[in-house]
Amino acid sequence: MEKISPELEEKLLDYLDGSLRGAEKESLEQQFQQNPVLKARLETLRTLHQLLAGNNLEQPSKNFTQQVMLKLDQYPRTSSLSIRNGLLLLTGVFVVAILAALMVSTGMFDNTTSVIDLNKIEVPKPLEAPQQYVQEYIQQPLPSFEFDGKLMVNIIICLNLVLGWILLDRAILKPLFKKRMQMGH
Amino acid sequence: MTNDPDHYILDRVLAGDQQAYASLVDKHKSYAFTIAYKILQNRGEAEEAAQDAFIKAYHHLAGFNRQSKFSTWLFRIVFNTAISYKRKSRQQFQDIEKTVVAYSQEGESILEKSDQKRFLRQALAKLNEADRTALSLFYLEELSLEEIAEITGTQANTVKVRIHRARLRLAEELKTLLNHEALML
Repeated sequence: MEKISPELEEKLLDYLDGSLRGAEKESLEQQFQQNPVLKARLETLRTLHQLLAGNNLEQPSKNFTQQVMLKLDQYPRTSSLSIRNGLLLLTGVFVVAILAALMVSTGMFDNTTSVIDLNKIEVPKPLEAPQQYVQEYIQQPLPSFEFDGKLMVNIIICLNLVLGWILLDRAILKPLFKKRMQMGH
Repeated sequence: MTNDPDHYILDRVLAGDQQAYASLVDKHKSYAFTIAYKILQNRGEAEEAAQDAFIKAYHHLAGFNRQSKFSTWLFRIVFNTAISYKRKSRQQFQDIEKTVVAYSQEGESILEKSDQKRFLRQALAKLNEADRTALSLFYLEELSLEEIAEITGTQANTVKVRIHRARLRLAEELKTLLNHEALML
């Protein structure tokens, strides 16, 4: 059986799609008259073409539009933080902040100031040799830091409060106002 | 910017007339659902994906630059949403034989009007996802090759080659399925 080249098959499909014009179209039509194999292939592809063309649109459910309109205000559908989880997290954050503030106010961190002197830090064995070179050639004392425990706890309390406000806004207030607006519509 | 009649409705929606969006949903729901269905091959999932796409489109309307038709932009969202549903779906782990069996069982519904249509569905199910989607979009008629390219995020030439190749493969699949008995394939 004579085999049809891929180029010719492509032309057959273009012919069926109606995108073949002029001399090229006429030339192909002439070939149909002379070549029964080509004509048979055209009919096969035409049948397929008609089948596919008759492959009608699928219809969604009757209440499709209604469903979409109902869901419009629910976007984004899956919030990363639900109101309940947000409330729990917010409570945790504030409890930690309040406990820390109470501990600070009772003076628990009053005597936690200490000085961290980098020169007194013991160097691990593998680094002993470089340390000798540093002392021998650079001869510069390393800085020392004052560590204030009370200040650190205060910073943590402040960060907790900022985090708490963000949580309050994102997880509770925004969804709450959104709900109210929806109810007002 | 195109002369798309949908753009007038978009202006109304953007001005706050949410109900105007219902007319856009009504107008494009069948195409949107069909695209999602061709990719997911499951009516329930397709409906959900299409609804999701309409909701996403609504919330990103302000960002639509109107360089293309609204429908093209919307169908691209539908396409991407359906692809993402497909990735999440367990169906992707099924081998092709199982998919065909499930498909033909579903095909026994009232929607199946003829054996030809059933065979066509079975043969379509044997194509790869990209070929099947391109072919389905092409035969939805209203879409040009350029629009299909925009929806699927590929070049128009690639789409054309894909559609040609898919039809030839489909013809072979049908030939196998029908054992040379029907349709003269």
